[in-house]
Amino acid sequence: MDNESGLAMRSTGQLRPWQSIAITLIACAATTLLATPLLGYLDLANIVMLFLLTVLLVAVTLGRGAAVLAAVLNVLLFDIFFVPPRFSLAVENIQYLVTFAVMLLTGLIAGQLAGGLKLKAQEARQREQETRALYEVARQLAGTLALAQVVEAAKQFVRDQIGAEAAVLVPDEAGHLMPAVGGRTSCRCEPHLAQVAQSSGELVRTDEIAGSDYASLYLPLKASLRVRGVLALAVPHGALALPDDKVALAEALASLVAVAVERLHYVEVAQATQLGMASERLRSSILSALSHDLRTPLTALVGLADSFFLVKPPLPAPALENAQAIREQAERLAGLVGNLLDMARLNAGNVTLRREWQPLEEVVGASIKLLGGALDGHPVRVAIPADLPLLEFDAVLIERVFCNLLENAAKYSPAGSPIEIGAARAGEVVEIRVCDRGKGFPDAGAQGLFDMFVRGRNEAAGSGTGLGLAICRAIVEAHGGEIGVDNRPEGGACVRFTLPAGVPPVVEEEPA
Amino acid sequence: MNGKPKILLVEDEKLIRRFVRAAVEEEGCQVVEAETLARGLIEAGTTKPDLLVLDLGLPDGNGIDLIRDLRGWSDMPILILSARTQENDKIDALDAGADDYLTKPFGVGELQARVRALLRRRTRSGEGASPLVEFGAVRVDLSRRVVERAGQGVHLTPIEYRLLCALLAHPGKVLTQRALLRDVWGPSYVESSHYLRVYVGHLRQKLEDDPTQPRHFLTETSVGYRFQP
Repeated sequence: MDNESGLAMRSTGQLRPWQSIAITLIACAATTLLATPLLGYLDLANIVMLFLLTVLLVAVTLGRGAAVLAAVLNVLLFDIFFVPPRFSLAVENIQYLVTFAVMLLTGLIAGQLAGGLKLKAQEARQREQETRALYEVARQLAGTLALAQVVEAAKQFVRDQIGAEAAVLVPDEAGHLMPAVGGRTSCRCEPHLAQVAQSSGELVRTDEIAGSDYASLYLPLKASLRVRGVLALAVPHGALALPDDKVALAEALASLVAVAVERLHYVEVAQATQLGMASERLRSSILSALSHDLRTPLTALVGLADSFFLVKPPLPAPALENAQAIREQAERLAGLVGNLLDMARLNAGNVTLRREWQPLEEVVGASIKLLGGALDGHPVRVAIPADLPLLEFDAVLIERVFCNLLENAAKYSPAGSPIEIGAARAGEVVEIRVCDRGKGFPDAGAQGLFDMFVRGRNEAAGSGTGLGLAICRAIVEAHGGEIGVDNRPEGGACVRFTLPAGVPPVVEEEPA
Repeated sequence: MNGKPKILLVEDEKLIRRFVRAAVEEEGCQVVEAETLARGLIEAGTTKPDLLVLDLGLPDGNGIDLIRDLRGWSDMPILILSARTQENDKIDALDAGADDYLTKPFGVGELQARVRALLRRRTRSGEGASPLVEFGAVRVDLSRRVVERAGQGVHLTPIEYRLLCALLAHPGKVLTQRALLRDVWGPSYVESSHYLRVYVGHLRQKLEDDPTQPRHFLTETSVGYRFQP
């Protein structure tokens, strides 16, 4: 409503000049008619006042142009109808020329002032109205829940306040600007110009193509962190280029839209994070339920097999041998289940590593202790330099790597032969190797060894599933390292893996 | 101590209860069974057992709550049974006051060894404490603050000595990283586990025969440490 009256006021002053000319003419004529009967009673000086009043009123109501017209017209009318000799342009007394000049000047100055004042008032009203509209759209944008709503609010604002068509472009996953969803638009965009606005963060304005249905104004949606897209404006067919004040208004709108788009982006990010966390929780609870359900019967199996040895009087030897076999098989099954569950956890992606800085030898010692009897009498020789820095890794997982490698080494090398573990700094990484004195890998260097269910050493009778090395690779790679195998020239296999060295925290030496 | 030591077994799986019972009865203990936490708490109050064997994964709640309840009025040894995937649960249980844990699946031999160790500690705590501790070739005189290895004096820094004392104070018990850091370095260090690891390494260098394969200062990976006399 305010908008309409604003436009109406503009039109009386500027857009419909014939109306104001007519009103001015009528006003001047009316003043003449009114003053004529008063000629006998009033001095000419006072009649001049009436004319001046008319000019002032015209100026105030109709603006500057009408005031100029009225000033000139009044001088003429006063001269013709009031200054003797009447009904002619001639003047008896030269003094009246001064009156005319003063009348004209006063009229022009008054008109100028009043007209300026009126224009200012108009501008102020216009600005107030725009501010209110901006406030309104800001309120709308603050309440939006989807990008489509943002786009719709922006379009509506541009249509009402600027008289143009708008489109909002947002980058897709590949970074290409695409029109955001939401309603139809007659605004067509020049992708190149939009891209320039997006990457430069500056407004792009091409008035040459204004009115061609193509957007002529591209405003970057600058949010606090980055440009979130582009607001494009197209003036309708046949219209002129946008005036500067409208461009400023569009810029204000663009910053509001930018804030709204960014807010929606963060809402989306938060939702995605929440979803990710929920599915992560679900996955880990399924895995731990599975782990519990599989381990419980295995625990019973191992324990019950063991309890045959408790029977008094002792069972005959063959029965005990069977019990021992059951126990060993159950333990192997437990190891297998552990491997499978670990693999499932690692394969599920985004494993959360519990990385801590620690000496490598500690986890080596723990692995050897954990394996215990499974090492089958193979002595383990550990050669870790004393000055090897602390490494950052998940102790449980790296322990699993060592256990798998030691187990393999024990399985594939002659009884009683030593297994060697070494480590050395190699630039940005620390290389760790586990070597045995067996026959080595038949096809060393082949990465296929690390695939699931591949067994490199085909002579093994029945034992192993080929999961061990696959798990080792998954764990090492999750730590940002690499793993590979080779055969030693003197015989035997070596598995080497690396861990990033990083920058270990300082442990202050205490005064001894 | 009169007669057989009493053991309370809280475990929901019947078959596991059966062999655990057989194993500890062979050790000369008397077993009271409970299937649920609620039942376990009642039995603990009425039978006053000498040792609690507790499965952490019970259907009716968290075993850690039971440990906290018990620690309010009892210092009976507590042995936890848990699945390997629950590192955090183990740490929480140990921090709450449990003494040791067994990872499923476990054998009868391991179970008996742990039970024996825990019961022995209980009976020993009544005897007059000696300032002398010996393990391997090492002899520690706590009253004179002297550490000897194979008859030779070993120099320990103040922190190393404090850490040694903290470990020696609870032979056989798993001490969590948090607990050791708090006792030796102070509460502001509980997150700086690398300090602990480095200093345990120092102790092993000075006191173990083979520091890479320690026999007395054992690592419980990602949980803590155990001193094994």
